[in-house]
Amino acid sequence: MGLRLPSKVLEHILSFIDSNEDRNSVSLVCKSWFETERKTRKRVFVGNCYAVSPAAVAKRFPEVRSLTLKGKPHFADYNLVPDGWGGYAWPWIEAMAAKCPSLEEIRLKRMVVTDECLEKIAASFKDFKVLVLTSCEGFSTDGIAAIAATCRNLRVLELRECIVEDLGGDWLSYFPETSTSLVSLDFSCLDSEVKISDLERLVSRSPNLKSLKLNPAVTLDGLVSLLRRAPQLTELGTGSFAAQLKPEAFSKLSEAFSNCKQLQSLSGLWDVLPEYLPALYSVCPGLTSLNLSYATVRMPDLVELLRRCSKLQKLWVMDLIEDKGLEAVASYCKELRELRVFPSAPDLDEANIPLTEQGLVFVSKGCRKLESVLYFCVQFTNAALLTIARKRPNLKCFRLCVIEPFAPDYKTNEPLDKGFKAIAEGCKDLRRLSVSGLLSDKAFKYIGKHAKKVRMLSIAFAGDSDLMLHHLLSGCESLKKLEIRDCPFGDTALLEHAAKLETMRSLWMSSCFVSFGACKLLSQKMPRLNVEVIDEHPPETRPESSPVERIYIYRTVAGPRMDTPEFVWTIHKNPEIGVSHLAIK
Amino acid sequence: MEVSNSCSSFSSSSVDSTKPSPSESSVNLSLSLTFPSTSPQREAKQDWPPIKSRLRDTLKGRRLIRRGNDTSLFVKVYMEGVPIGRKLDLCAFSGYESLLENLSHMFDTSIICGNRDRKHHVLTYEDKDGDWMMVGDIPWDMFLETVRRLKITRPERY
Repeated sequence: MGLRLPSKVLEHILSFIDSNEDRNSVSLVCKSWFETERKTRKRVFVGNCYAVSPAAVAKRFPEVRSLTLKGKPHFADYNLVPDGWGGYAWPWIEAMAAKCPSLEEIRLKRMVVTDECLEKIAASFKDFKVLVLTSCEGFSTDGIAAIAATCRNLRVLELRECIVEDLGGDWLSYFPETSTSLVSLDFSCLDSEVKISDLERLVSRSPNLKSLKLNPAVTLDGLVSLLRRAPQLTELGTGSFAAQLKPEAFSKLSEAFSNCKQLQSLSGLWDVLPEYLPALYSVCPGLTSLNLSYATVRMPDLVELLRRCSKLQKLWVMDLIEDKGLEAVASYCKELRELRVFPSAPDLDEANIPLTEQGLVFVSKGCRKLESVLYFCVQFTNAALLTIARKRPNLKCFRLCVIEPFAPDYKTNEPLDKGFKAIAEGCKDLRRLSVSGLLSDKAFKYIGKHAKKVRMLSIAFAGDSDLMLHHLLSGCESLKKLEIRDCPFGDTALLEHAAKLETMRSLWMSSCFVSFGACKLLSQKMPRLNVEVIDEHPPETRPESSPVERIYIYRTVAGPRMDTPEFVWTIHKNPEIGVSHLAIK
Repeated sequence: MEVSNSCSSFSSSSVDSTKPSPSESSVNLSLSLTFPSTSPQREAKQDWPPIKSRLRDTLKGRRLIRRGNDTSLFVKVYMEGVPIGRKLDLCAFSGYESLLENLSHMFDTSIICGNRDRKHHVLTYEDKDGDWMMVGDIPWDMFLETVRRLKITRPERY
């Protein structure tokens, strides 16, 4: 028995298998398949950097070329995770440097990256090509300079919405003097001005440059000069448009844009005045992606721009677009796949924008390919949700943020249960869902029952009782990430469905009623879950029944982490030890 | 000048002093579940609606730009009751005195720092935690780091 596939043959077969899900399955077949698979895996994705130890990953996949890691929980984006929580990149960089010298690409999201990390990357990986840092912090422009100076084959350097200690614009001058292999450069999150002459020279000696995203410090003049040198760009993030409009400047800008015949994606546009928008008209027909979320431009001007964008697939815009504007989008942008509408006045008492649920209904009706929605709106109705579900059963991502918490259907005063039921039932391919508005436990019964493919679910200010959580944890077959805030329950459902938590990547609950006692029980019951209590006050100083501020529960094979700050308490598995605070200072 | 957009850590001194003490927490948690803008705790936290800090700051009108050794910090200034605000580069001023002088000139009325009363227009600012504070309480440098926008309040009417 046992016809064995020669490993060379297996290797060859595996070279056609790219998806990590498939490779994970392959690795479970038998020992020799595990071995062959691990030696040939080129791309490693770790969705929670604390789920597994860096050393284990580095040892298992010596030939890895691309590493993607995520650190902090998603709600960190909204200030719900205190500074210093964790997510340090250093242990990973160190482990990779020691065992995987062929690493070429590192992509990190919500992690703490220091200059030391960046210098280590530059020094350790000879053929380093791609560095993408999204929502990261902890480094300065000195670290960026080290990458620029040392990584001679660097193709991609993208700092997306990072918090960087900006020591000035010199880092740009550290790129090699001879031609660079840069394909993509994004420094839009930096505050400091870079010398325009340095930038011009860099662009001129980067013949492969396709994507360039500037920071607000780059002026319009600078932009014009750069576009002249890089008409081959497919993606552009402009600098700031804040400058007085002079006719000559306008025509230069117009001309520069019209020469960019391959431009597909446009973003930036800080402080853009409506008078400048016509300069963009020439690129509109070719645009597939337009990010206007920083452009406080209002209605008629927005429509003038958007009606020219017939190929648009992705639109991010402010609610200044109003229902009228979205009606226009529905009729002109028939290729639209992704829509995000952000609030222009986050303070409710200032909210005065004629954007209602009707805007989203227009787009749902008119844009047949629409599959991803993020929509901020003051209030909503069940009827609108029903229409959206009926018209767009192909939705994959639906995130509705009704800004007024507990807001019922404003026409009928009912909860939005029926509406979200329609979404869960009708959109059978839904992968990501965020709910809001007034929702009773019933809504979650429907979601639990019907949302079979939802992997990520976000909930705020909703539900009546533990039943809500019970419905979700006993249904939602594909649930991987659940984040909940301000829902007044937790204990019973959590303990009842403890086993479910091990099938998920993580659970976040903040400002709910999860007691310290329940956290302890849960941790004892489930050895392969890290139960972290994030609380300003030591949980042991309070009665066991009192609620803790936040919990973050995630499955892990690495045990409790050693880098927790003062305010994070990992519940120890041994009940006698109680709460452990294992911090290495 | 280092500017951070992240939320304040528990160990910093800007911890909300109205946080409930442990024994009150079960009562006060129910309070915090009320409508956000009426709950002082919610408003202070800058975590609702769920938008990223960078967008929130941009919407408030705060923009930091560094050119060589010069820095510009643009913030919006509103006079209570007047819908249109103005934009100001705070780095153009040497301190509170010159700021007040300039604002008084811009809005054509005398503006002071200090408590609200029936006579004067008082200058207040929103800090990075979303709290509205009296201008003048902290050193100028710290002020620049934390200020998000300015509001000139009207004399109180009883």
